[in-house]
Order: sequence, then structure tokens, then C-alpha cells
Amino acid sequence: MSLLRAWSTLVWISFRRLLWSPSSLMVMFPLAMAALALAVMRHRYLRQPGAYEDFGLAFDRFTQEFVILIFVLFVVPVCALAYGTTSIGGDREDRTLLFILVRPVPRSLVLLAKVAATLPLVLGLVVTSFFGYCSLVGEVGDAAFDAYLPTVFAMTVAYVSLFHLFAVSFRHSTIIALVYALFMEFFLSNMPGIVKRVAVNFYGRSLIYEYGNAALRSLGAVHRLDMPDPQWFDPVTAATGMTTLIGVSLGSLALALLIFQRREYRDLT
Amino acid sequence: MFLTFDRVTKFYGPVIGVNNISCRIGPGITGLFGVNGAGKSTLMKLASGQLRPSLGNVRLGPCQAWSTAAKRHLGYCPDINSFYEEMTGREFIFAMTRLYGYTRSEARRRTEQALARVGMSDRAHRRIAGCSHGMRQRIKLAQAMVNDPEILLLDEPLSGIDPGGRREIGELLGHLAADGRTILVSTHVLVEVEDLADSILVISRGRILASGTLGEIRALLADQPFTVEIVTADNRRAAALLVEMHEVHSVEVHDDRLTVRTRNPTQFFSHLSDLALEHDVEIQQFTTIDAGADAVFSYLQPRAS
Repeated sequence: MSLLRAWSTLVWISFRRLLWSPSSLMVMFPLAMAALALAVMRHRYLRQPGAYEDFGLAFDRFTQEFVILIFVLFVVPVCALAYGTTSIGGDREDRTLLFILVRPVPRSLVLLAKVAATLPLVLGLVVTSFFGYCSLVGEVGDAAFDAYLPTVFAMTVAYVSLFHLFAVSFRHSTIIALVYALFMEFFLSNMPGIVKRVAVNFYGRSLIYEYGNAALRSLGAVHRLDMPDPQWFDPVTAATGMTTLIGVSLGSLALALLIFQRREYRDLT
Repeated sequence: MFLTFDRVTKFYGPVIGVNNISCRIGPGITGLFGVNGAGKSTLMKLASGQLRPSLGNVRLGPCQAWSTAAKRHLGYCPDINSFYEEMTGREFIFAMTRLYGYTRSEARRRTEQALARVGMSDRAHRRIAGCSHGMRQRIKLAQAMVNDPEILLLDEPLSGIDPGGRREIGELLGHLAADGRTILVSTHVLVEVEDLADSILVISRGRILASGTLGEIRALLADQPFTVEIVTADNRRAAALLVEMHEVHSVEVHDDRLTVRTRNPTQFFSHLSDLALEHDVEIQQFTTIDAGADAVFSYLQPRAS
């Protein structure tokens, strides 16, 4: 009998169940909405004569209007919460978690298996859709994909870990995560002062501005990203932003492991 | 292997689930009997490691019940009706078997063995969502047996299973007990474990009221009537046949059901199936209104306090 075999089985079962879960239908909505929005605004980012001929300006518009406002604020958290809360929260809500907890797999490995099943699914979905959207806007999109992929990746991992923490802590974690992702993240990341530093989105945006400007510089563009008023936004450096996102991912996962390891789930039977 | 409760108390906030319980359950079949809310589920959850005791210890052999190591010795059939509904019965058992770390071929062998044991081999290709309650119950039993556990905890395992199925499962549990397994069967219907259990624990308000062989416990119930509700295709004809049975104390005919009282449930249940077969009486529903349980509690309660 091997623990690794048991763990891989749990990863595979969880992955399969997530893939065929209602979450897969649910994520189609934000992805379709984002595609629709991009289809409407696409001409603004294409380098067509008479429109946005300047590459830097088109890149700026695409970053501000699509990447920041639609993709990282809406699509990434919704995809992460759709699977992040369902992976263990779904088992908990429909009470099938019990069948796993009475097997000789340590609880910490149960949670890690759930995370391992969720991450490739969410990352695959987010990265593929980001690639697809960027492809729709030609050269600007190609540059944006290269510049922002690490940010999108780090934000996705942070959200997935955070929503697993929600899932082990709250019974109806999907609702709580939805409220958090769509309201708390939005409002907190747009609050003046230091309050915004509790939002994952703030660090993502800080990274986007820095990576975006670095990309423009390396491409020789004159235009730079139109930064919000520094008194209002005051971004952190890319190093701080990335470290914080990694810290959120690891911290949330560690806390989730601690809670899941110790917690009695009286609601399972 | 022994299942040991050593001065175990479990609090749910200010509410006490079980109160200072000590007992040692050994090989053979032990019935855990009590009304709803008596503390049976808490005891089963403590034994299966879902809950940690607030005070005391629960051990499966040398292992703490909460530990991962204990799960290797444990088979648990819970009192829930939730499954991976999208899977077939066979896929579900196979997946649960793989969670013990067996190779695919070993897991497949154990899956087929468990399905055969509970009489589900020919029906396990159905999706669980489309299975009857009895079939789901058998699937739950099968998943509890895949690792050949030394300690088997069965929470209301016979609920929803037809009389023939009960007999089969009873025989299966008997064989496992004869093999030296420790089997704890929780029920709120005493007659369900009557033929099965070698000994019985009676629990009420979180405390063990009585323990011993079934004969000793049943002796307390000897003078108490036992009530059963039966729905048949023709209630009046069934009533006429039932009053002929000498173990039947009384029969009340209602519009939609019969209420039957008996002083000898064991014989009554045995003769009822004979009667149904001989006279072609179609029994559509059968519910035990376990007055006997109330009786034993009213008898034991003053002694416990």
C-alpha cells in the first residue's frame, strides 16, 4: 500500500469531479462576457491607420480597459473561486468528504491533493483564455501576454490558495468567496490609503504597471502606461508585489492546512 | 482488535454529547442501541475519528481513533445518503479502495470481492444516482469492507434493506465476526440487531445504560409490547390473518395502515414473512414503532440516574 498512490488517486478523482462539475459551466459566463467586451472594444487596441497607431497608446488602453478592469478584477477571481471553493467545499457541502476522511490519508495530504487538482485546472483555464484574448488584439496582445503572464499566474495561485482557506473555514464558502472576490476585492483595492494593501488585486495591478512599462521600454515605445494618481494608488515595487502574492499563496495554504488538520467537521453526517 | 473508550466525554459547546463513557468492545458483533439523540452518532463519530474527545481517549487497538494510522484498521459505513452520484457503484468502490494505496489490480480484486460480498456484483455498473436506497446502502457497506478492516463501524446499516437483504448481510457480518473482526452496529431499532449481535450497549442521554448479551437486555423488555405499522395491498384481509398469529397482541385497522402490537417480536417477524408468502399478502410498507425501546429506557432510566 502506498501513500503516493492513494494521494494521486485523490488528485485524479478530485480533478475529474471538478472538471465535470457545475463550476465548469459557471466559469463560461465570465469568460464569455470578457470575450464579448473584447470583441466590442477590439478595434481600439489594433494598430490600424487612423485609430491607435501608436503602439504604446494601444498597449496602454488594452492594459487599462481589458487586462486590469476586466481580466484580473473579474475573470481571474471568478475562475479561481469557481473551482477553489468547490474542490473541498463541494465535498463538504454534499457530505462526501467523510468518505475521504475515514481513509488512511493524512488530512494535510487530502487538502494538498485538492489544491493539486484545482491549480492545473484554474491555471489552464486562466492562462489559455488570457492567451486567446491577447491573440485577438494582434501585436499589442502578444506583448501584453508576455508582460503580464507572471502576474496573472501569481494572482491565480494566490486566489486559489485563498479560496481553499475559505473552503476549509466556512461551510458556505462559495457565497462568502463570491462576496469577497466581487465586492471586497473591488472596493478594497480602490480605497485610498493603506487599506488597499489587503487586496490581492492591488499587488496584481502594481505588478502590471511595472511589467507593462518595462515591456514598453524594451519595445522602444515612447508612450508609458497612464498611471493613476500616486497619492491615490501608490503602487508597490514589482519585487514587493510578487513576494506578497507568493506570501499570500503560501500563507493561505499553510493556514488552510492548519485549520483542516485540526478541525472537526460535525456537518459531515 | 479492541475498540476502547476510556472515560470519554464529548462537549458540543455547552451541550454534552457523551458523558464519561468507558467500555471495551472486542471481536464479535456489538449492537449500539439508543433512541435518536441518545449519543449513538457521537460515539460512532468518535470511534471513526471524525470527532476528537473533549476528555478521555478513544483507541482502535493501540492507535488513537483520530490518527491516520487508525484508519488502516477501520471500515466505516456512515448513516448518510451522499455519494459521488455521477460514478457507478463499481467506480465508487474502486476509487475508495484506491485511497488505501492499493495497486490498480489489487484494488480491482478487492472491489469485486466487496461487491460480491454485499450482493451487488451484477448491479454495480449502474450510476449511483439511479440506485435504489437498498442498493446505495449495500454500496456503503461494500466501501467499508474493501480493506478487510479489523474494526467495522456500521451506522444504521440495515435501514432500507429488504428482509432478504437483511438476512444476507446478517450472514456476511456473522462470517466477519467469526473471523475475529470487531463489529459495532448502531441502530435505534433493537430488533434489527437482535439476530446479529452477540452483545449490546444501550445508550441514553450520552451515557451507557446497560451492556451485556442480548438475552440479558431482552429480558428487560420481555413484558413490554412492541408496535409495528404495516401497509399492505389489502389491509382488512391482512388484519384478519394477523390476528390469527398467536404472538400478535392486538391489531388496529386504520384507513391506510395497520398497527400491530406483539409481545414476541422475534417470532412475529419470522412468522410475518411466512404469512406474506403463504397467503400472497403484498406488504408495501413496514415500520417499527419501537415501543420496546421506550420501555427499556423507562425501565433503565431510574437506575441510571
